[in-house]
Order: sequence, then C-alpha cells, then structure tokens
Amino acid sequence: MIPSKSVATKTHVLVVLMVLFSSLGDILLSKGMTQIGEVNLASSTAIATAFLHTLTSSTIWLGIALLLVFFACYLLVLSWADYSYVMPASAVGYAFVAFLGYAVLHEVVTPLRWAGVAVICLGVLLVGRTPARTTEPS
Amino acid sequence: MRTAILLGVVVLAGTLGEICVTHAMKRIGELKSFWPRAVLSMLGRAFRSGWVWLGVGLMALSFYAFLALLSWAPVSFVIPASALSYAVGALGAKFILREDVCATRWTGVLLVCAGVALAWAGEENATVNLRAFVPGLRWGVLLAALTPFGYYLLSIFSAWRYFRELRQRPAALPGRPEFTPPVSILKPVRGLDREAYENYSSFCRQDYPEYEILFAVSDADDPAIPVIQKLIADFSERSIRLLIGAEKLGTNSKVCKLCRLVREARYDLLVISDSDVRVSPGYLRGVAAPFRDPTVGAVTTLFRGIVERQFTSEIDCVGTSAEFTAGALVARQLEGIKFTLGATMATTRERLAEIGGFEALASHHSDDFELGNRIAAHGHRVELAAEPVWMVFPRQTLRNYLSHELRWSIGLRHIRPWGHLGLLFTHGLPWSLAAAAVAPSAAVGVAYVGAYFALRFLMAWTVGVWGLEDPVLRRKLWLLPVRDAIAALVWLVSFGSNRIQWRGMQFIIRDGILIPVGPPPAEAEAEEIVLEDPGPLVGAVDQSQIPD
Repeated sequence: MIPSKSVATKTHVLVVLMVLFSSLGDILLSKGMTQIGEVNLASSTAIATAFLHTLTSSTIWLGIALLLVFFACYLLVLSWADYSYVMPASAVGYAFVAFLGYAVLHEVVTPLRWAGVAVICLGVLLVGRTPARTTEPS
Repeated sequence: MRTAILLGVVVLAGTLGEICVTHAMKRIGELKSFWPRAVLSMLGRAFRSGWVWLGVGLMALSFYAFLALLSWAPVSFVIPASALSYAVGALGAKFILREDVCATRWTGVLLVCAGVALAWAGEENATVNLRAFVPGLRWGVLLAALTPFGYYLLSIFSAWRYFRELRQRPAALPGRPEFTPPVSILKPVRGLDREAYENYSSFCRQDYPEYEILFAVSDADDPAIPVIQKLIADFSERSIRLLIGAEKLGTNSKVCKLCRLVREARYDLLVISDSDVRVSPGYLRGVAAPFRDPTVGAVTTLFRGIVERQFTSEIDCVGTSAEFTAGALVARQLEGIKFTLGATMATTRERLAEIGGFEALASHHSDDFELGNRIAAHGHRVELAAEPVWMVFPRQTLRNYLSHELRWSIGLRHIRPWGHLGLLFTHGLPWSLAAAAVAPSAAVGVAYVGAYFALRFLMAWTVGVWGLEDPVLRRKLWLLPVRDAIAALVWLVSFGSNRIQWRGMQFIIRDGILIPVGPPPAEAEAEEIVLEDPGPLVGAVDQSQIPD
C-alpha cells in the first residue's frame, strides 16, 4: 500500500509508451487493410490476391510490430500496477488519436468528439491521482 | 438480441482476458530493472504462463466478436456501447483481483466511460477505421476455418495407408519360424477396474510358448489383491506373481511400481500394459513379432473400446477412437511413431537401460509417451503391433471424465507445447461455426458446417469403424459433435492451469514433472507413510509360490 514515487514514474512512462504504440499500430493496420479494400469472397483468386497483399504489405507488418511492442509494455506495467489504474489511464489514447487526426491528417473532428475527449482527459486525470498500486506484492 | 449477446461477449471476454493477464503478471512479480535482459526474461516468463495464454485467447475472442458486431451494427452504436468495458473492468479489478478502487478512481473510470461513448457517438468515419478490418478478418477466418478440413483429410489418408498396408501384409512368412522369445508381462495395478478379472485373465490365455505375468500394487490393502490371488489359483499352470509395495523413487506411483517390476522380471522382453486393457490370445505373438527386426526398440498398440451403456463412458471411447487414434496415425504418417501408448509399451531390458530405466521417469506425468519418445530419440524404431487391444472404459461421472480429460490435455501441453498450440487447427467444430457466423451468405455458412459434418464423420468412420473396427464408435458415431465441443473447451482450458487432480491428489506439472502440492487428502497421507519406509515391504510379500 505504499506507492513510492518511482512506481508512479515508471507507470506513467509505460502508459505513455502503450498509448503511443497502440495508437500508431492501430492507425497503420487500419490504413493497410483499407488499401487492400473489400475482398470478393466468391472468387478464389480475389481471396488469394488479398492474402498475398496482406503478407507483403509493409504497413500491415509495421502495424503488427507496433501492436506487439504495445502488448509487451502492457504486460510489463501490469507486473506492478493495478489493472483498474492502467485500463482507464490508457484511454488517453482516444485523445491522442483525435489530436493526431486533427493536426496531422487534417481530419474534421466534430465538436461532440472534442467534448468526449475532454471528458476522457478529466477521467484520466482523476484516475492518475490515485495510487498506481493497491495490492500487496506477493 | 444477437447484438446484445455479442456485445456481452465483447465486454465480458475482453475484461476477463485482461484480468487473466493481470493475474499472471502479478504472480510473476514486479519488474524492477529495465535492462533489456531483465525485460526479455520477464516477457519470456509471461509467455510461458498458462494464464497469459488464456487471457490472450479471451481477448482474441472479444476482438473477434467486436468485429463481427461491427459488420452489421453501426459504428456509432458499437464503440460507445463497448465503452462499458471500462466499468466492467473496474468491477472485475475490485472483486476478482481485489484491487482497492476508491471513490476518486471510480469517478475517473466512469468519466472515461462516458467520454469514450461521447467521442464516438457521432463518428461514422473515424481515423481508426475499424470497419476496414472487417473484410480482412472475415476472409482470414474463412481461410483458417479450412485448416481443420485439411487435417481431417490427412487423417483419412494416414489411416487408409496404415490399415491397408496392415491388411495386405501376409500373416506369417512361409518357411520362417515365428519370433517368440520369452516375455515378462508387467502390470502395475491400483484399485479395481471394471471387469478386472476378465481383463487380467485374458493375459493368462495367451497362445505363446514361454511367458510370465507380474502384478504390482502399492498397498497391502489394495482391492485388486484378492482378484489377482484368484487368478493365480485359477491359472496355476502359468507363472504369475504379485508384488506388494514399491520404493517411492518419484511422484508417479505407477512408474515406481514399474521400477520394481523390471527388477523382478525374469526375461528380457518386457510387455507393459495398463490394468484396464483386455487382449485376444494372439496378442503376445503380435507384440513380440516386430522385435525380430533389431532396429525396432519398442512396440505399442492402438486400442478400441468396451463401454458401459452410459454417456461419459461412451463419449470417452468415441473420443479416443476418433480423435486420439487419428492423431497417432497422422503422427506416424508425418514423422513416424515417436511415442508409446499406455495400452501396450513393449521394449527390451537393453533399450530400457539405454534411457536410464524407469527410474529416469519416476516423476514424469506422461510416462507412456516419454518411454517411446526417449527410445526413439536413441535412434530405435517404435512400431505398432498389428492388432489393437481392447480398453475397458469405466462408468464415470461427468466431473471425473472432464477432470481426466483436462489432466491429459495439460500433460500433453507440457510435453509438446507447440504441437498442443497447433491443435487449434484441428478443432473443426468451433472453426466452422465461426466461419458460418461471418460467412458473406447463408450458402457459404451452410457449406462450412456441412463440410465439417461430412469430413468429420468420414474421418471417424475411416479411422475407427473401418480401420480399428471399434464397435462402440460404429454405434455412437452421432456423439462426435458433442465430443468435439467438449474437446475444444478442454483444450482451451488446458492453457489456463498447470494444476491437475490425479487419484485424489493435487499436482503441478512443470516441464513434464509431477510436483505434489498442498496438504494431501487423508487417504493419500496414509499411503505416503507406508511408502516412505519401503524396507520391510520390498520383496517381502511375494506370492509367486502359492501351493496348488
């Protein structure tokens, strides 16, 4: 029950890494899949081509690699931090993606979405004020 | 309705999966150093944990259900609704993981929940276009769901090759005497199996020139003892001995008995078989024959079933004939037989000595598999005897049956971790159901499920009915889908635990070794006291010279 300062710091660092890797991984993977487009399942050649595209798409592979790094960070942070801390804290990724969409990809972000992002940030801020670990080390 | 169920799967499976992963990581312990070595070693430990795999499986299920949901419900409904998982996750953390979720954290979690729902409520085309995954994942599933069909075809081919070869082989080569060296039959016994006397006596009626039978039990009050004594009296012309008590060389009591049996056996050719096995009079000739070839190091047999008219007994038998035997024959086709089965393990004293005797296996869970595997690793061949034996499947409760299946599955996972994971692609029932769920049209869905039924039944028929000539499978072929459903669940659960129940005691399996845990139940305790002081028992009660 004694959350030291170092626990808080390393938790914050890993949550930020998780958010970065998962957001970028998701974006790359979804871009890669969009490039392949709808597959006509009635045609076996279309399926084979789509399969080949998936295997040779560097966007998809990079996305998968980033998601693997994300999962590794996730495992590591859970080795000490609470699940009920990490899970809501990583929702900050929604804000990150919205910002990325607005600033880099020049997408239109609706006011409703901005409002949601603000509420998420408020929630994460509150969660961040609680100790990262509440269970005894075994 | 369909949407609600799927949403439930998304939220619950996802949360449970993450809780499993958290539990695993908490058990491994806090990462203290961020040197690459420490990080990699921790990740390595994580991926050896059953809980992590169970968690990953559940998360995959959740993700898959999520995509299925996206394929018909609007994004602006699906994502906001799945924001529920933040609240459910916090509940799970509080009640399952016993984390202290204080009021501030609850407020934060609920705000995140509401924020995520709000942020996505109006978005049909978001940056992370999840809909783009749907077609990709859909044909991925349709493609993967074909792999069990490939496995079924391979099983049919393997079984057809094996049994056709067997039937074309001449019974005996003319002008060449049969190979019948003297044999010691070794039978470790514990407790009474169903129809034990009939099983034992079938070994006394062998058409074979010279052989002896040795029984071993651990305790002087084992209920099998009177039955074996009756056997000794009824077959006075046979050399039959009963040994009581065995040194506790390890945690596997069957192997401890085998160590003693091997020491006491008179002959060099050793034939070991489980106590629930029944054989025909030609059995020993069939088992001894392959040893004429000096490259053969061990012989094992397939088996078919004798059952009670009871559901679990029948389904157990259907499973072994249509699944276990199929797996063995596929392995034979692909890489040769590199294992022995408990139904029969025959080897010579010399081969046994090469692998360090049974003493080397005294704490192993799957001793039967290990024996053949180690003999094969020394460059000797393992052969199947021509005739399958009969296995008597007992009447059992569903609970006992499931716990026994789980024990098997966990044992297998430890012997061949990757092979066990690869079994994923042999479970045709869940795959074809998944394919049907995402199929672009009803016709494709029906085709998948139809192909499953057709190939599965053809495979079981070829292996069990045509090949093994198992009468139970012939009658109960329709139980197959039920058995497949159970097998898929048991397989999944086997990743979640290293703990098994065996003969009333709890064990943990680590690297194939049995490690007893917890306070043993009273009955087992009594046994331990007897076994820890084997001095007066070893060799003391030897009933071979019962006067006629």
